[in-house]
Amino acid sequence: MTKMDFYQLSNGLTLVGERMNHVQSVSFHILTPGGASCLPDDCCGAASILADWLFRGAGNRDSRRLVEALDGLGIHRNTTITANHLTFNAALEAGNLEPALDLYADILLSPRLDAAQFELSRKLAVEELHSLDDDPRSKVMLLLYEQFYPDPFGRPGQGKEPELLAMTADQCARIVGQLFKPSQIIISVAGNYEFETICRRVEQLFSRPGVGQAQTVKPVIQSRPYTHYPNDGAQVHIGLMTAMPPIGAGYYYETMAAVSILSGGMSSRLFTEVREKRGLCYSVGARYHTLRDFAGISCYAGTTPDKAQQTFDVLWEQFQRLQDGITEDELQRAKVGLKSSLIMKSESTSARSAGIAGDYFLLGRVRTLEEIRQGIERLTVDSVLDFLRQHPFETFTAVTIGPKEIRV
Amino acid sequence: MEFKHRQLNNGLTMIGEINPAAQSTALGFFVRTGSRDESSEISGVSHFLEHMLFKGTQTLSALEVNEAFDRLGAKYNAFTSEENTVYYAAVLPEYLDAVTALWAQLMRPSLRKEDFDLEKQVILEEIAMYLDMPEFLVFDRGRELFFKDHPCGHSVLGSIESITDLTVEQMRSYFARRYAPNNITLACCGHFDFDQLSLQVERHCGSWSSSDAARLLPSHQSEPKKVYDQKVGLIRQHLALYSPAVSMQDDRWYASKLLSVILGDSTGSRYFWSLVDPALADTAFLELASMDAAGAFCSYICCDPQNADRVEEILNSLFAEIAKNGVTAEELESARNKVLSSVALKSEQPMGRLVNLGFNWVYRQEYLSTAQDIDHIRAVTVQDIEDILSHFNLSSYTLYSLGPARK
Repeated sequence: MTKMDFYQLSNGLTLVGERMNHVQSVSFHILTPGGASCLPDDCCGAASILADWLFRGAGNRDSRRLVEALDGLGIHRNTTITANHLTFNAALEAGNLEPALDLYADILLSPRLDAAQFELSRKLAVEELHSLDDDPRSKVMLLLYEQFYPDPFGRPGQGKEPELLAMTADQCARIVGQLFKPSQIIISVAGNYEFETICRRVEQLFSRPGVGQAQTVKPVIQSRPYTHYPNDGAQVHIGLMTAMPPIGAGYYYETMAAVSILSGGMSSRLFTEVREKRGLCYSVGARYHTLRDFAGISCYAGTTPDKAQQTFDVLWEQFQRLQDGITEDELQRAKVGLKSSLIMKSESTSARSAGIAGDYFLLGRVRTLEEIRQGIERLTVDSVLDFLRQHPFETFTAVTIGPKEIRV
Repeated sequence: MEFKHRQLNNGLTMIGEINPAAQSTALGFFVRTGSRDESSEISGVSHFLEHMLFKGTQTLSALEVNEAFDRLGAKYNAFTSEENTVYYAAVLPEYLDAVTALWAQLMRPSLRKEDFDLEKQVILEEIAMYLDMPEFLVFDRGRELFFKDHPCGHSVLGSIESITDLTVEQMRSYFARRYAPNNITLACCGHFDFDQLSLQVERHCGSWSSSDAARLLPSHQSEPKKVYDQKVGLIRQHLALYSPAVSMQDDRWYASKLLSVILGDSTGSRYFWSLVDPALADTAFLELASMDAAGAFCSYICCDPQNADRVEEILNSLFAEIAKNGVTAEELESARNKVLSSVALKSEQPMGRLVNLGFNWVYRQEYLSTAQDIDHIRAVTVQDIEDILSHFNLSSYTLYSLGPARK
């Protein structure tokens, strides 16, 4: 039986962890309140600049020595931007955990923030934004989230070109200074570790006062149901999203069952109806996307222009037909699929530390794998149908990119 | 960790790495066939056939196949490359028997005409999807340019024309030739009982008859070429570079792998410091693509079209510099640490371990434990890398560059 580790510094910074036997590695996530919705208006692209700028020298290391130090520890790393967080993830050999935490403390608390380096980081952020134009499949989902979520929660972490171009090094440096709000920082760790050692190290590194509380934002509901962005590509890329209760509302397992019946395995409804029976798409799928206060099921399909309308119609029809009934066999397949994903995730330190951090932020506590397993086990056809009837798919937000518009 | 190996009378090879501590088990059928084994008339058939295996047998419909996998909670799929078609599943140990039986049946598919016609639509959609992915396009066209008449240059997907014209009879005849048991390796790793698996495989696959599934292995002489192409609607310049490298069978593979990390890893490499750090490109990497008796170093760079010439100049000077002065001990150490930690992370999950285990056998007929893999990485010296550099001229590359159409 796994036990969750929990420790809080006196400044409010939270450390959560799960020790995993039989692995030699460890992974950690550091969630900082630098997500696109937490930044000042017209500055949400700052997160994209920071994700690069912070690594261009910190503490007593310049840019090159910092990267060499990270690489020298064999750290597999990435930095991601979500609505709420600028998140730093690292996976590495367990013995190197402490020096890795030292480096990330430097990055977070003593970055060099050199002005010449800022120009390069800004330029890269603009370049990445341009590259997104050549990747309509990724771009359509970003546009979908932007249109679906009440503003500022759908703002893209990549920002917009004019705001990136207008941003100054001083402005960005101020944002970095505002980032260390300990009560809103979560460090999660999973793998082969000694919790006491980590707590001691985190105390040494992060026991300093922070800069106060988060500002509260007033979400602005969006009203555009459908937007088409024309391009000359080979396919129409369709993004579709419909509202669901967020994870904290108490329907997590019912929602996951619904998504799994729609799009879990290859026998799921979307794959069967859109691809297997009609040959409309190669790529089609749906997932549950949840923030703390808002959530939805988002769906992607890519198809050639002449099939776009039919693809969209079949997709939405499948959403609506869900509440007409699900079979016992469908639910069983969904349950066994969810349980096996859960166990396979428990073999990966990165997947587990992401899960722990997400739980703590969204729910204020971390669920054990056993608790999640029991939640899946308890699902019945009636409980899922009751949920679907209380939360019918009535409205949707849709975005398309491609040579042909659809009627919605 | 224990390794076991067995060959059935019909030539089907079984290999297994048993790890009683694992919580899941991964199984894969590795068929030694891909686009390099196709003639131009049937271009794309290997990949199309991979899709058709999911369409069922004499007794199972496509929907029943999908339901059967999902009932086991299997994480399953397949992929096709230039020279392998791999079918795999990861399951909880209690479902291994059932998933093995299912895959074994599917390896003898019915290839029905009506399923073939419908799936052809899906394949054409997949081709269209990749047309909207320039990174994939430049790799595909660059490889074709680099390998020229050599079969390793064949496109995995085929073209709209070749797929449209393909008949189910052509596919059936290709299947009969290539899916012989003596051309298939079954690999399994994680928590399982090898003897039990072996009995089951014997029962399901023992009656398959072997055939001559030989592969042509012509030598490859590359003649560097540069092609600059345009595509309406693109914003960025996408570059793919190919130059000769070691094959999968070559003992210098580990040194070549470390060289590729030193030169072209996504972070901390020479590409990174020369192209990404100064913001000349937002993506730049080099990979080692070793194949059966052939190989290539291939690079991808995405940049502003205005910077494309500058990027090429920098690449040229990077290649000249490394050929002249080699690599430093510090660079090697850093690359080694990255590769070691990636091997360790991957090996923690049976599914991550499966592909390595299978390919080692397919290409080299040998078993390498993770510990042995690590020993090989540790043994590489600066001199080994210099030997690679003196043998393979990175400057002599083929380039395919795709950018926006000029007004």
